[in-house]
Amino acid sequence: MTKNLKPRRTEPDEALAIVTQLAPTLPPAQVPAEDRATTLNMRLRASSIDAIAREARARGLTNKQLVCRALADSGVEVAPADLEDRTPKRR
Amino acid sequence: MPVLTVATHKGGTGKTLICQLLACSLAGTCRLVVLDADPTGAFSRWAARAYEGPAFDTTAEADETRLAHLIAQHAETADLVLVDTAGFGNRAASVAMTSADAVLVPALAGEADITEAERTVRLTEALARAARRDIPARVVLNRVKRTTSLARHALAELSAASLPRLTAGLSDLVAYGELTYSGRLPDAGAAVAEVATLTAELRGLGWLPEARQHVGA
Repeated sequence: MTKNLKPRRTEPDEALAIVTQLAPTLPPAQVPAEDRATTLNMRLRASSIDAIAREARARGLTNKQLVCRALADSGVEVAPADLEDRTPKRR
Repeated sequence: MPVLTVATHKGGTGKTLICQLLACSLAGTCRLVVLDADPTGAFSRWAARAYEGPAFDTTAEADETRLAHLIAQHAETADLVLVDTAGFGNRAASVAMTSADAVLVPALAGEADITEAERTVRLTEALARAARRDIPARVVLNRVKRTTSLARHALAELSAASLPRLTAGLSDLVAYGELTYSGRLPDAGAAVAEVATLTAELRGLGWLPEARQHVGA
């Protein structure tokens, strides 16, 4: 290295590819916490619950889907899995 | 020399301490950015809560993809991007080594430290070959009493493994432990000379920028 000539830099994508190729078994420095499903309980008026259920039925959605999609549309970072119908299907 | 990564696969060797010493020494004399790629966040916590010197930029990022882009982004404008890494083999540290212009490998005198220092230097050499550019790595001994037979043995082991090392090193001084709480560089005692010798040697290698006064973050 000299003071007048800039060394060639390794581009970020190249550095990532080299590490993946040369040391594929290395773990990440930090493993993201599992995004487990848990419960959110809300006390609502019966009329609100009826309205949500009516609208969900009309749109072919679950109550949870309707609420989560509305939240996502308003900018809340809702997990993609919560926007899907994950109701266990009967045979 | 914008990017200096401090790394080794062994924990507790003084990576964060060296970053703290260099940050204290260089802040205010150059445009310094420190990237904390250790998920413990030890450096970031110290910078936010204890450090009292001139301001410098610091960001905590342990995700290898975001870290790679942060290094590239800051290398464009900073005089020095210092990367502190986690003390085990991991992707973020390896990406930081691949993106570096030089890698500093701290080691204590014990067998495990020297073994992991060698692995880290060998990995740096392999990463450099893959990147088709020179990425020099040097071991720096920490918490070593130079006059002991253990220190002599550690030096002999480094030589036997042909591991390049700094002449400078750090002793086991209380002042370094105090720095982690006070956020201030020692201003008296043996630590002053050790830190000056370390920075002078790194500057001589071209791994640190020349000092300029009154440079903000």
